[in-house]
Amino acid sequence: MKRPPVLMRVQIRGEERKFCLWLPLFLLVPLVILLLIILSPVILIAATIVRKRGCGRRVSPVARTSLGILCSVRGIRAAFDVLCSMPGLRIDVCNNKERVYVSII
Amino acid sequence: MSENQKKVLEMLADKKISVDEAYRLLDALKTEGAAAEGAGEAGRTGKPKPKYLRVCVIPIRGHEHGEGHGHDEDDEDDEDDKGAALVNVRVPMSLIRSGMKFTSLLPDGARDKVTDALHEKGINLDMRNMKPEDLEEIIEALSDLEIKVVNKKEVVKVFVE
Repeated sequence: MKRPPVLMRVQIRGEERKFCLWLPLFLLVPLVILLLIILSPVILIAATIVRKRGCGRRVSPVARTSLGILCSVRGIRAAFDVLCSMPGLRIDVCNNKERVYVSII
Repeated sequence: MSENQKKVLEMLADKKISVDEAYRLLDALKTEGAAAEGAGEAGRTGKPKPKYLRVCVIPIRGHEHGEGHGHDEDDEDDEDDKGAALVNVRVPMSLIRSGMKFTSLLPDGARDKVTDALHEKGINLDMRNMKPEDLEEIIEALSDLEIKVVNKKEVVKVFVE
């Protein structure tokens, strides 16, 4: 079963500086979800307006709103799927002077 | 018909078990048989499911720290000699699957344009008719993928593990 990422590790090492950060994503993700819930009316209205412009043909307001809601729900679901697939992602770039390491657990 | 299935039918004929029990037993035998076949096939092919897509750029020794070229002022390759970077990226396959699901959010007009652009480049991929089964097939086919590009400065490898 997929789960959202728990921790994110960011490490930047240069000639003169060193920076290492462990981000507790398990605290940030609920905050983001809460923010999405609070902003959901705005997102729905925006999706409805965008859908209206993108249709290019006459549709009823009810159909337009339903399509907007459907797009928002599908978009949020797709974004959540992407988020839950991120554990295991690792990016490591280093040259002779610097190293950047990002890992999502 | 297997021996176990014959035994179940014989027991039903002898009225030792009811029709319901016989149905359940035959169903259980079918499930067991399918599971055994799947395991056998996996054993035969020996192909585990791909988990990560790896992209590695490995500088060739001598170019790691800008060596291999003189540091003359007139040397045009000074910019390139600052040291090739070692890149190691690991992307979970599930992230690729989830990313592909975003194609369902594309408006029809945009999807058609993307499909036409792909056709122009010789890629016969129809974004309009993409199904989850096709995606699984692509990802399974990626398990045999191995790309290796070697030049004077670095080796680029793309593979699946």
